[in-house]
Amino acid sequence: MEIPIKIRTQSLCFYYRRRQVLHDISLELPANQITAITGPSGSGKSTFLMVLNRLWEEVEGCAISGKVTMELDGHFNNIHDSTLSVRELRRKVAMVFQQPNPLPMSIYKNIAFPLRLAHINDKTRINEKVESALRQVCLWDEVKDRLGDDGRLLSGGQQQRLCLARALVLNPEVLLLDEPTSSLDPEASTAIEELLLTLKSQCTLIMVSHYQDQIQRIADLHIKVLNGRFSI
Amino acid sequence: MRFWTYSVNEYLFLIAAVFSGLLAVAIFCFLLFFGLPLLQSGQLADLLFSSWAPDKGLYGIYPMLIISLTLATLSMLISFPVSLGCSFVITSLAPVRLRRILLAIIRVMTGIPTVVYSFAALFLLVPIMRNLVGHGSGMSILTAAPVLALVIAPTMILFFVDSLNKVSSSFTLAVDALGGSEIQKLLYVILPLAWPGIVNGVLLGFGRAMGDTMVSLMLAGNSTAVPESMTESARTLTAHIALVMAFDFDSMEFKSIFVCGLFLYILTAALMLLFRMSTVYFSERT
Amino acid sequence: MMEKLFEKSVVVLSWIAGLLLISSLLLLIAYLVYKGGSSLRLSLIFGDTAPIDALMLKRQVFDGLLPAIAGTLLLIIGSMLIAIPVGVAAGIYMAEYCRGTMKALLNLAFDILAGVPSIIVGLAGLLLTIFLNRKFQGQISTCLLISCFSLASLVLPYIIRTTQTALEAVDPIVRKTAPVLGASRLQNITMVLLPNSVSDIISGVILATGRCAEDTAVIMLTGAVATAGIPRSVFDQYEALPFYIYYISSQYTGPDELAQGFGAAIILLILCTGLLVSTLWIQRRLSTILLYR
Repeated sequence: MEIPIKIRTQSLCFYYRRRQVLHDISLELPANQITAITGPSGSGKSTFLMVLNRLWEEVEGCAISGKVTMELDGHFNNIHDSTLSVRELRRKVAMVFQQPNPLPMSIYKNIAFPLRLAHINDKTRINEKVESALRQVCLWDEVKDRLGDDGRLLSGGQQQRLCLARALVLNPEVLLLDEPTSSLDPEASTAIEELLLTLKSQCTLIMVSHYQDQIQRIADLHIKVLNGRFSI
Repeated sequence: MRFWTYSVNEYLFLIAAVFSGLLAVAIFCFLLFFGLPLLQSGQLADLLFSSWAPDKGLYGIYPMLIISLTLATLSMLISFPVSLGCSFVITSLAPVRLRRILLAIIRVMTGIPTVVYSFAALFLLVPIMRNLVGHGSGMSILTAAPVLALVIAPTMILFFVDSLNKVSSSFTLAVDALGGSEIQKLLYVILPLAWPGIVNGVLLGFGRAMGDTMVSLMLAGNSTAVPESMTESARTLTAHIALVMAFDFDSMEFKSIFVCGLFLYILTAALMLLFRMSTVYFSERT
Repeated sequence: MMEKLFEKSVVVLSWIAGLLLISSLLLLIAYLVYKGGSSLRLSLIFGDTAPIDALMLKRQVFDGLLPAIAGTLLLIIGSMLIAIPVGVAAGIYMAEYCRGTMKALLNLAFDILAGVPSIIVGLAGLLLTIFLNRKFQGQISTCLLISCFSLASLVLPYIIRTTQTALEAVDPIVRKTAPVLGASRLQNITMVLLPNSVSDIISGVILATGRCAEDTAVIMLTGAVATAGIPRSVFDQYEALPFYIYYISSQYTGPDELAQGFGAAIILLILCTGLLVSTLWIQRRLSTILLYR
């Protein structure tokens, strides 16, 4: 059975302050699978992720060339197309960072924040989505009695799961993960890995990782990066 | 602090620092020394709360006190929202190239002499005020307040911009990745985090507004009565000091200046202390 | 819905604020140029006297701004001669030697000094004059020297703070290099740290210079007068541009004098903003807290 393609890049090049970081990347990433990207530091892995949700546009000194298309809402779009706003794109292509970054607000407000940004105001709907997101990341039972606590008070592993829940609350089609377990202890890492496997059914996961065994365990496709050049 | 190991040059550094520090004390001492007779004569309450009527033997600085506070508050009420709005534009709302240009313009604005602002406003704004109000000289708190707001705005804007920019990029990138717009990022994440810095900027602005002389001297009118409304001529503490100094050095009028001076000194010292304490307090919390 | 409206209105209001500020600035400058542009001739500065004679001090200038310009320049030079060495030395001390309670106390003292209104500094200068007057039996009165001391006190906190910040910002690795090679603390400062921070210190000095040029409140209490010619010694009274502008604003006797006032305002404006633009040019780093400006 042919696996549908979710993301396609064509001759993608990325420049940071006139230095070329990504060289002519052309590849296809499968839908509803976990694609792992590995390589030495500075080879362009995180940069590639930032291209997929256009986060590079918030950083000064970046430029790209080439084409990136994504299957969203049933049809393929060039992500730089003017018909799709950057904010809409980022709601469908969510990101989890290497260092957990809970916002300076309560756990509840952290999860509800993307909903607020999208101007979703219905209280019941928000409650439902927050609970469902926290259940998905297996955090609900741990925090249900202290949803008002500051998100930064949680342990590292819990914070990362919080960030994951926050990324999932708008039901993204693509989930970008930048070394999601590198700042966590082995137990927390395993919990996250198991979680990621369960998420395959609902979205496409692109994950940067340093850990070969992690990739062995959960990745469907393994891409290696060296000096800004990708190989499968 | 091993003083005994210092070389001659290093002692010079020490002396320079201590000397400079003592200047602040020296100013206070001068004011106290000359104002003491007045304070000691038990007339402090009179001075602070009665009106200024030398022919009646009243040397109260009460009217000037009220006017200084009112003018400072009014100009802050104008300047704060404008400065905050400008800082929003400079840090987030404007395209990147425009931000740099605006920031440079604001920086240059801090160099514009207050006397130049006041001079231009005197011939531009005062006649307009005179026509608007219908009577009087056109010089009043209402005339001086917008000009004072313009004077203190650039410094406040730079201060706000600095506070807003200091917010960690891990938070701002998180909001970007979640699909937040620039203004959402500003209002819901950056501003709450930068708020202590903003408050500090307001403290500084208020201190500057209280301490300004030229704007109020040239634009507020300098009448010594407590005005009925904000469109009447009025005199601030600073203008009072500038105007009365011409007299006989031993007169009561002259001595009343020291009370003005002491009050202003203590007020601005307290503001700066508050500023420093809140900076330390908030930096310890984050 | 309400939030969306709120967000949009904040954006609109912020842009309005920006426009308001910039347009006020442009209005001000346009008005000055409009009113004073016509007076920008050599006679504005030199009056009826020939420029060469005036500059060589052969003849006095009565109708022109030369004495005021000269006074302002002398003020700047005089106060900077005092403030720069003391300020930089104090800044070095604060950054490199001072710790603990002493540092906290001195920091507070400098904060207070920076926050004291300029008129109070002027008042203190005046009191100093009276005090010296009594001591030396009426021989000292308000003069250029007193003004320079007072102005120096006014700008000292700026210079100290910028020197201190500049030195403290030096990369810790750079800071440790010379001592490892055997340099003394003082050698490290003079040969490594100061040269490293020179551009920031110079920016601070230029800002302080601008402050000296523009200040009116201090000089009006300590020696500036409406007509005094070019001062021949530091114990003379003097004229200065900012004071001239203030004086003319209430004492002008006709449209010509008023135009001269505007011309003086333009000259002062160019001087001060010119100084500031030069700091922008010198300073490479974009974020500095201009705390005491």
